[in-house]
Amino acid sequence: MAVALAKASCIGRLCTARRSISLFSSTSPSSWSKVVSDAEKIVGYPTSFMSLRCLLSDELSNVAMHVRKLVGTKHPLLNTARGFVHDSRNNLQMRGLVVLLMSKAAGPSSASSGLLQQDMVSGIYPSQRNLAEITELIHTAFLVHRGIVDLKEWTRSDGPLKDMQFGNKMAILSGDFLLANACTGLAQLNNTKVVELISSAIGDLVQGIYHESDSWAEDSSLTEDTTVASWEDKTFLSHGALLAKSCQAALELAMHDKEAQALAYLYGKHMSLAHKVNSDLQPFVKHSAGDPVTLNPVTLSLNSAPVLLHRQIVGPERWAHQLKQAKAAGKQVDYAKQLWETVSAEKGVRAAIDLCCCHGNKALDAIKCFPPSEARSALENFATAVTKF
Amino acid sequence: MALPLSRCWRWTLGSSTGISLLNTVCSGNGRPAAIATASILSGDRLVNLASVKKFRSLSRDNFRSLPSSGSACTCSEVHSDAKIKDPFALAQKDLRNLYDDIKKEMFVSVAELKSLCDYYFDGKGKAFRPMIVVLMARACNLHSHRDGDLLPAQRSIAMISEMIHTASLVHDDVIDGSDIRRGKTTINNVWGERKAILAGDFILSAASMALARIGNNTVVAVLSQVIEDLVRGEFMQLGSKENENERFKHYLEKTFKKTASLIANSCKAVSILVSSDPEIHEIAYQYGRNIGIAFQLVDDILDFTSCANQLGKPSAADLKLGLATGPVLFACQQFPELHAMIMRRFGSSGDVDRAWQYVLQSDGVQQTLYLAQSYCQEAIRQISQLRPSSEREALIQLMGLVLSRDK
Repeated sequence: MAVALAKASCIGRLCTARRSISLFSSTSPSSWSKVVSDAEKIVGYPTSFMSLRCLLSDELSNVAMHVRKLVGTKHPLLNTARGFVHDSRNNLQMRGLVVLLMSKAAGPSSASSGLLQQDMVSGIYPSQRNLAEITELIHTAFLVHRGIVDLKEWTRSDGPLKDMQFGNKMAILSGDFLLANACTGLAQLNNTKVVELISSAIGDLVQGIYHESDSWAEDSSLTEDTTVASWEDKTFLSHGALLAKSCQAALELAMHDKEAQALAYLYGKHMSLAHKVNSDLQPFVKHSAGDPVTLNPVTLSLNSAPVLLHRQIVGPERWAHQLKQAKAAGKQVDYAKQLWETVSAEKGVRAAIDLCCCHGNKALDAIKCFPPSEARSALENFATAVTKF
Repeated sequence: MALPLSRCWRWTLGSSTGISLLNTVCSGNGRPAAIATASILSGDRLVNLASVKKFRSLSRDNFRSLPSSGSACTCSEVHSDAKIKDPFALAQKDLRNLYDDIKKEMFVSVAELKSLCDYYFDGKGKAFRPMIVVLMARACNLHSHRDGDLLPAQRSIAMISEMIHTASLVHDDVIDGSDIRRGKTTINNVWGERKAILAGDFILSAASMALARIGNNTVVAVLSQVIEDLVRGEFMQLGSKENENERFKHYLEKTFKKTASLIANSCKAVSILVSSDPEIHEIAYQYGRNIGIAFQLVDDILDFTSCANQLGKPSAADLKLGLATGPVLFACQQFPELHAMIMRRFGSSGDVDRAWQYVLQSDGVQQTLYLAQSYCQEAIRQISQLRPSSEREALIQLMGLVLSRDK
């Protein structure tokens, strides 16, 4: 899919980034990519052929052909497609990579004598490789479905309505196609517990991202009672459940017991939360005030961890005042800049860094009991790298 | 048309061959009479008993009003024969609370999302798929020398089939930009496209969880195939084929994937749950495949005829979407002018109206009905291989309803 869509998106003018798709890319690039490339060597070849089959399918070549027509429009599908290429080295297969490392770190279980050891490649069962791909397919499907545009919110400045309708159609079909392939892939794993677990992760993802698009448009989404705990619950659904449940499922496939599965789940959960806080922090740790270019309303969300923690520190009254002041600045870009300065001046950023480290440490704790191995070290490196700023 | 049909129900009760049924039905007077008959089924409320009675009285009137329905069997015979029960009535006890149970399968913490997911499970749907599934389940159970009782897992399949169907409707409505479904404003029209797609995804995930909880790997694989077929069918609608033969094959394959696969594989799944005999699985699958294709062919006919009869005005929704269905493809053999319009997906101004005229001038509607009838015939041939039971008869009787429905 990435390749096919990339072809389309490389042609012609591309609109400015409206939606930040980048994942796992933001942490100090040099050390992070080293962690990734080391990890890829450990698991042997990083993927099975499921995504290749999707890529080469008639259906997706068809979509790629149609996506060409979207070039020059403002439909988010173009950006999603561009994101696949732009960050493919570090990002596309990240979740899959963690699932593979988790599979290898856990190794074969005592109960798994029924499974054929000789089927393992680089210490990973074929079913676990398929699972890693399924995780990626689901993740990608929701990147695409997240970017569906509400036509009632369409304005003339968004370009012709026809383009938006067409972009939606392509986004729906390609997302559905990826999900359908995930479903048949899941069925072939021949383990109904895994099917149930991963299906529930799809439900979690939907619930987590359902209100996502409201976040900037309506300040009300960040209500008075938004606490760190409720933020974590919501973020877990949208950013953590898939990885946590995939890690758990990988161990279920190797017939590991409930305790080991629970630890794998915890690693996936806390690793995802640490990563989300990390990417929320990027506008605050990367940019100085004189760097307004990347400070668009999307990278600085009112629902991001530093802003939430800031709000908690200053209290509701001062926050309401600060928000009002920022709004007085006018245009969205100025608004974002004003807000950025307000939040940077106080302790919210520091608190978010602490929160990130806290989750990173919990991830490390979860895999302590696994036998020492290079796969476990790679998982530890991920958890460490994500807390470096 | 309706008269020989009721006569045939008696034949099939007596002998195990149902093959002759549609020979009779189809030959009839050659007119698509069934299509033109007045409201036989009151659409949305098929499951409740009151409307089943209404169906009987209505269809009795229709029988009388048809030409050449002089002698032979009367409908009172159908009534008096306890063994012949209306399919909807027979399935009703198994489908009670179906929609409430479906709503319970969808655990959602986001209140608004919950109302989107529940939106079409309001009890006003036809529950056509669940009805076939439970009848097939009981027919297979009896065939396998068990009591006819429905297994809990088989009832789950009935629910799952309706959930998968609804999820795909929700996505289809966004793709087609539809505003109205079953007399209600569509989800996309009320809450927007993005949330509609997410709700569809959620219903699918809930269906998939319910499916996994049955705990049977083969059943999971069979119904996962449906999800893939639905998407592939939708993709097939994007393209048009230049060659006429290929175009027809393409149309039938799309029809299988978009409509029949769900019914065929749901029927297969309930048979797997009771029997390990692959022949039974194949009978269940083929019955579902054939009735499913017939169902869609009639649907495609109704796109040309239903409003034309009732309002004097075409709906032609498929044409407006650029889709060439059975009646158009047949009409194209008589009016080659249609070829160019098909290729440009009725995109030039006036295309929709002109194509509609051509179809009505041709025998495209009638040919499509013949085709639907031959699929029904095959479905009956398949199901007749099971041992006789009132559920089996109901599945045969269903053919008449499929062919004569008007909405």
